[in-house]
Amino acid sequence: MIRFFLLSIISILFISCEISPQKIEYGSDACNYCDMTIVDRQHSAQMVSTKGKAFKYDAIECMVHSLQEDMADTEMALYLVANFDQPGELMDATSSSYLVSEQIQSPMGANLSAFQDESAAENTQKKFTGKIYTWQEIQKHLKH
Amino acid sequence: MVFSSMAVQAETITVCSSCPVKTIKQALAQAVNGDTILVKPGIYKESNIKIDKEITLIGENLPTIDGETKGEIITIGADNVTVDGFEIINVGLSYTTDYASVRVVKSSNFVIQNLELEKLFFGIYLQKSNNGKVLNNKVRGEAVTEFNSGNAIHLWYCNNVEIRGNDVRNVRDGIYLEFSSHIQIYDNVSKFNVRYGLHFMFSNNNEAHHNIFETNGAGIALMFSKDMILTNNTVRKNWGTAAYGVLLKEISNATIAHNTFELNTVAITVDVSSNIDYFHNDFISNGYGLRIRGASYNSKINNNNFLYNSFDLSYNGKLNENNFNGNYWSDYTGYDLDKDGMGDVPYRPVKLFSYIVNRTPETIILLRSLFIDIIDFSEKVSPVFTPDNLMDNNPRMKPIKHDRS
Repeated sequence: MIRFFLLSIISILFISCEISPQKIEYGSDACNYCDMTIVDRQHSAQMVSTKGKAFKYDAIECMVHSLQEDMADTEMALYLVANFDQPGELMDATSSSYLVSEQIQSPMGANLSAFQDESAAENTQKKFTGKIYTWQEIQKHLKH
Repeated sequence: MVFSSMAVQAETITVCSSCPVKTIKQALAQAVNGDTILVKPGIYKESNIKIDKEITLIGENLPTIDGETKGEIITIGADNVTVDGFEIINVGLSYTTDYASVRVVKSSNFVIQNLELEKLFFGIYLQKSNNGKVLNNKVRGEAVTEFNSGNAIHLWYCNNVEIRGNDVRNVRDGIYLEFSSHIQIYDNVSKFNVRYGLHFMFSNNNEAHHNIFETNGAGIALMFSKDMILTNNTVRKNWGTAAYGVLLKEISNATIAHNTFELNTVAITVDVSSNIDYFHNDFISNGYGLRIRGASYNSKINNNNFLYNSFDLSYNGKLNENNFNGNYWSDYTGYDLDKDGMGDVPYRPVKLFSYIVNRTPETIILLRSLFIDIIDFSEKVSPVFTPDNLMDNNPRMKPIKHDRS
């Protein structure tokens, strides 16, 4: 009986630490880095730590800055960014392509949007001009 | 007949359904610099109206321009343009292009006034435009449940614009400034917006006076800007987990005076902001009055009224040369034996409980319990956790009657 009890407690603990993205409540969640209310479904972002805590951001630039500053010592399991072509849908940040274009404004002034892959980024680049980056390159680009 | 010449060069072109000129676009094609286009009452189904001449476009008794959701409605690309007195509805919606009811592009000396905008995406969008006025417009968005709405009045790289007497509701941000300077914002009402009533990003030397910000995601957000003056504004009822009356994020050199902050979750949240003067403000019945989150230096919090807030002040870190003096605190229980109007013992505005709540937000459930009263009292007697030099040496015995003129 006691063993069963312990087992259920342990399993509950494990369930509560499951590493998965959390739903972003647009219009009520605040950005973890800049405190802005998250409203833009095309530019939001999220990181989930190895302990299962989710950090939400209103812009990809906020997530990258957070990663370079206050979250530098936190181990992360997931990096997610909103897909510009599919508003509200989060995708893996490390394999996404990034477009910095004066024509597309993002919430924190970096004019940065994310795309599923390079060809999707190129399609948008044709229309709005700008420069394409990978996940590694965009982190260097945003370093100040 | 319908053309009435006013001067040799400047003509007035009249547009109506029974006139020779039936659409605004036709009138624009005929017009030359300096002309006036007078539009009679009626409904005009037109979109992508491009104004590239120096003209005055006036509506008589609020004619309607219906864009039929085909994209942008009026785009101004010339100097000295006035648009006055229209109802403009049905802007196109797109994820990739920010369509606006009225857009001003790289132009100066524009006047946009007395418009009523409905069914919009972005309302009045000013980009790289200077020396203009946006006066007495009404904007009614539909961003209550949907978040695919733009901002009512949006400025991007603008200079020297007067924004006065507008009433903006139910959009994303009521008034939004990005990279814009010397903007005067007076007498506006901004309510029920999903994100902010007024939002500054990377915008310096701006002023906001006598505005009302009510029931927004947050009242005013000042971010990454300097040299700002906010006076006589009313910021009310901004409730919710991520809501603030005012958010100061990386701001320097600001004056926040004679404002009223009432019934907000947090009246003012301060993060990495220095040289801010808070004078003669009323903080009434907020969850937190001031919430100072560290790395903030050289601010003066003098002569304010803190009335019935759950926490008057929450504070992280050291005092950092911030100065509290001469405020009225409704929680002050000291006495005034020498009758000079100031309490004889200093007031310590930070409660230990606010320090605990800051670390572990869930403990808020203990608010108003006897245990908390006891630890707050013991902390008051001998401060251990809260900065011991954080106090108001001259707490007032009576609320200050501010001069609101």
